[in-house]
Formats: sequence, C-alpha cells, structure tokens
Amino acid sequence: MKGELSLSCLDIERYLGEEESRVHVLRGVSLDLESGSIHAVVGPSGCGKSTLLYILGLLDEPDAGSVEIGATPISHLRDEELARRRNESIGFIFQFHFLMEDFSAQENVMIPMRRLGQMNETEMRERAAALLEAVDLGDKLRRQSRHLSGGEQQRVAIARALANDPSVILADEPTGNLDTNNSQRAFELLANLVREREKALLLVTHNRFIADACDWVHEMKDGRVIASHPHGERISV
Amino acid sequence: MTAPLYIALRFATHRKRALLLSLVGVVFGVGIFICTQAQTQGFAQFFINSTVGSNGALVLRSRFQPRYEGMVVSAKSSGAAAARRNYFEGIHNVSEIMRVSRQFSNVVACSPVLRGTISARAGFETTTAELFGIDPASHLRTTDLAKQIVGGRFDDFRNNTTSVIVGYRLADLLQVRPGDTVQVLSPGGEYWRFNVAAIARSGVGTIDSSRVYAHARVAQRLLKKPYEASMIIYKLRNPDRAPALANHFENLFQHAAQSWQEREEGNLQIFSTLRISAAITVSLIILLAGFGIFNVLTMSVLSKVREIAILRSMGYRRIDISAIFLWQGALIAGVGSLIGCILGALLTWGISHVPIHIRGLLYTNHFLVVWDWRHYFWATVLAIVAVFIASYVPAHRAAQLQPVDTLRGSSL
Repeated sequence: MKGELSLSCLDIERYLGEEESRVHVLRGVSLDLESGSIHAVVGPSGCGKSTLLYILGLLDEPDAGSVEIGATPISHLRDEELARRRNESIGFIFQFHFLMEDFSAQENVMIPMRRLGQMNETEMRERAAALLEAVDLGDKLRRQSRHLSGGEQQRVAIARALANDPSVILADEPTGNLDTNNSQRAFELLANLVREREKALLLVTHNRFIADACDWVHEMKDGRVIASHPHGERISV
Repeated sequence: MTAPLYIALRFATHRKRALLLSLVGVVFGVGIFICTQAQTQGFAQFFINSTVGSNGALVLRSRFQPRYEGMVVSAKSSGAAAARRNYFEGIHNVSEIMRVSRQFSNVVACSPVLRGTISARAGFETTTAELFGIDPASHLRTTDLAKQIVGGRFDDFRNNTTSVIVGYRLADLLQVRPGDTVQVLSPGGEYWRFNVAAIARSGVGTIDSSRVYAHARVAQRLLKKPYEASMIIYKLRNPDRAPALANHFENLFQHAAQSWQEREEGNLQIFSTLRISAAITVSLIILLAGFGIFNVLTMSVLSKVREIAILRSMGYRRIDISAIFLWQGALIAGVGSLIGCILGALLTWGISHVPIHIRGLLYTNHFLVVWDWRHYFWATVLAIVAVFIASYVPAHRAAQLQPVDTLRGSSL
C-alpha cells in the first residue's frame, strides 16, 4: 500500500433483477484503494466485477454496505451531489472507449472539464492538448474520434479520464477490445500516468499479463472477493 | 457557454435534416399565424375605423322616462320581466347636453344629427335614403367626413345650404356626380331640389349605399321635425371605453346611449369568429410542428442513449442531460420564431399589396392588414410553449435513463 486512502467500500451487497430473476450479484465485497496504487479485479464473466466498478464509480447504488471517497461517506448523498463527486474525483475508462463520435479527440477530453466549469475555453483546450500529448496523440487533437484507430480511441478515453485530475480511475476492461500490442501500450501508458500523478487505479480485466503488472490483484467469484494478492504472486485468470 | 448548451449545439448540428424539418414547421407556423392575424384584424380594424369615423364612437338618442324600478311591485301572476322603457323621440336640449358632455375628458368632440328616411330621385332612378342633417363645423370635428370625400369639395357643401353630400354607392345608383341635382321627397309629399356638392366614401357598404348629408336646419324643415336633433354623436379619445361612458350618459341625461361596440356587435362577432378560426387553424400547424419536434427529439434521445450514459459517468447531472434536449428545443423555437417573424412580416407586406375587389360590407381594392407587435409576440409565445411541451417529454426521458443499464449492456 502506497499512500492515502482514495476510495474504499465495505460489505457491499447488490441484487439485480426482479423477483424470480433476482440475482445476488455482490455479497459483502470490501476494497481499499490508495493513491498511487493499481488494483486489478479478475474473475469469470458474471461474477460481479463490473457491478462493483459501477458502485465504486457512484453510477449504481448498493443495496447494503458503504462507499467512501477519501474519508467521506457518499452513500447518503443525493443524485446531484453524487454526479458532482463523480465529475471531480472519478475518471472512467470503458472497454469500448465510449467516445462522442462527432467530437474531436480534444473536444472529447474537454467534456468533463466543461461540466466542472473551473477553466475557460482556452485553458480547457490547453489542458486537453497536454493530456493528449501525454498519450502520444498530440498530432491528432482535431481529428474526429470516429476516424481514430481502436488503440487511439482508447488512449483518448484515458486522457479523458484524467481530464479533471481525479483521485481515482476506474477502468472496465480497458484493453479488452485491443490487440496484444495496443493492450500493452495502453496499459503501460495508463499505469505510468497513474503512478506519476499519484492516482488510484482499479481495473477490471481478463488479461493475465496486465493483472500481473498491478500492485494488487483481487479475485472475484460468485459475487465475493475470494482472494487478494500483492504484486508478484501468480494467479490464474 | 454552459456545458449542456455546447453539447446541445453539437447534437443539433449532427442531425441537420431532422432539425431543418422541425425548424421549417415552426417557421411556417409562426409566419402564417402572424399573416392571418394581420389580415383578419386588418379587415376588422378598417371596419371599426370606418364606422366610428362615420357614426361616432358613441351615440346619444331619444329621451326615456325613468322607471323607478325599486318602487314597482310585479303582479303575482306575471312571470315576465318588468315593463319596457318609454321613449320620447328626439333631443330637445341639445346645447345643454353637448355642453355637459364636453366636460368629460374622454370626449374629444360631439355633433348633433337630425336623422330621417327620405326618398331620393335623380333622372329616372329613385331610391330610399337616410338623411343626416348635420352642422358642418361640429360634424367635421367629430367624424372623418372630410377625409371621406372622393368627389367634389366639402367647402362647397358648407357654403351652400341647398347642397348635399351623397354616399358613394348611392351616387352610383342615382348616377349623380358633384354639380348634379338630386330631388328629395319630403314627408309632406313635396320634392326638394338639392345640388350635389360632394361624394363621400366611408368604406362601409351600408353607409355608402344609403346616406345623404344635408344642413341641419334644412333637414329639420324638410323632415318637419319639432326637435333640432334626433341624436348626438361623439368622438372619443379612447373608443374602447365607450360602453362605460354610454352607461354613464344614460344615467346622467336620461337618454338612450349606445357605444359603437354595442351598435356593431353583430359585425364585430363575425370578425372575431373569423380571427379565432384563423388562429385555431394556424395553431394546428404549430401543433404539428410540435409533434415533429417531439419525434425528432425522441429519436435523438434513443440514438444518444450511449452518449447520455457516457455523460452521466463523467459527472453530468440528470438536469444537465435534460437541459441538453431542452436547449435543442429552445434553439428550434428561438431560431424558428425569429425566422417565422421575418417571414410573417414579409407575407403580411406581400398580402397587403395583393389587389382584391370588395364592394360589400367594406370597400377596398387590396387586402387590409394591421401591423401589430402583439401578433409577433403571441406567435412566438405559442411556438415556444408548443416546442417546450414537445421537448419536455423526451428531455425528461433522457434524464431518467440509467447509465448503468447502457454500460452493463456493453460489458458485463
């Protein structure tokens, strides 16, 4: 464990579906993410990895348990306040990059900044350009995202996740849609940026090599974290 | 620029064709609304101006006997209303009533008129006409008669007591021109000969086809009336307040008083009905535009479900998502109303130059329009309300979308 606690959850329970089709997706999951650390969540499909990610990202509410950002409990907050916290403190990266197709790379990175509203247009453009430069896309600022390759799009998504300088980055299979080379490159970029900038990164992955490169690996099965390994311990994904 | 407005602009420009169709609906709705209102009110206003300019905004007529209603005990067997008023023909104390009337701030001028039915003859043509015995000076101050002269001169009438002014359509019927002679049959059976000094056209068919103006004293002798006036007509500063003043005058002078609104009630109802009918018809265009916008925005929400989820994951609130779609509606309403107002003004101008030949209730050679800012205001309000209602449902729906449902659908 490297730094201060950025995000934590305790005894998270989550059910999905209605009545007969109701599934107990998360069963008492607890996690602590410290700044400067990279955590991987691994496990078979349907074990609750993404659901955990959405709850930690304040996009979904747990049926029981609590989530804290820093030392602040956020379970009781209203939707508007949750949105503000999400905008300020959390960056998301999804498997399918989820960029705005008609927006340029630079405009995509500026979207979270616009909501934050702390910078003027020029400052936002400059910051977006710097972030895209950091992910080696400095020459493609004005290119529409639909005209970028899969690897480039995922790098734009990484830059966007860092737009408001969040303390936590949550990534849902960020390399799942990329080939081996691009996967490796995207992960290394993300890992370097996270370590340089003292962020906490939690990523859901099926990629054994990426999981091995993380500071912590949490194995999930049937809605539970069945094991947590520090860096270096071999696991089977 | 706020984040929702920025994104709304980007979303709107992405669906240009759909946006353009919505915009066209609003533009035509607003434009046609303005144009039809300008026309229908134009004809109504022309009629009102003409009738008020010829017959006054308020008319005081026969004296009536006070009924002392509070003292009347109705018979048990009688379910009917109390007895009607008793009227006494003519106004005898004209000078005194006019002197008192002028004290009212709303009264600009008043003029006595002796009115009677006569038979007019010229050449081989004979017709029934309405004789208006007037005092030229006071009548000129009270009505638009001088402006209505289309042939001859008013001064010729003023300076010659044996002359008359003949209504435009009546002159046409009798085939007389200024300088011709017209014979008037008095109630005593004698023909009186008058020189036609001028022809007047008020624009109102009923006036132009029947009226003959003569000097009051001559008319009194011709009609053999014991009183000098059968009515007093008033020009008011604020004709809209004529009903209240008429009520007051009735109580004050014990003479029947009638406002122009009461006098022209039937015609005004026709104009009002036409105007409402036009407004309803055109509102349907705006309503249809609203349905179009509803469809466009609903489709937009459905096609942007993924983008909405992304925005929510980046910290955009429900209200921001809702605002994005409401802004799109507002842009359509704002731009559509602006262009619609310009189109409305152009259509109104164009329509006012279209030649038509109306010789019935009104006399006009082209479409009559009114330039009134309220038409533009109400058209814009109508468009904004319709678009807001059309935008609200899709916007609300977008705001209620759960981002997790979309994101989970993509990767689980």
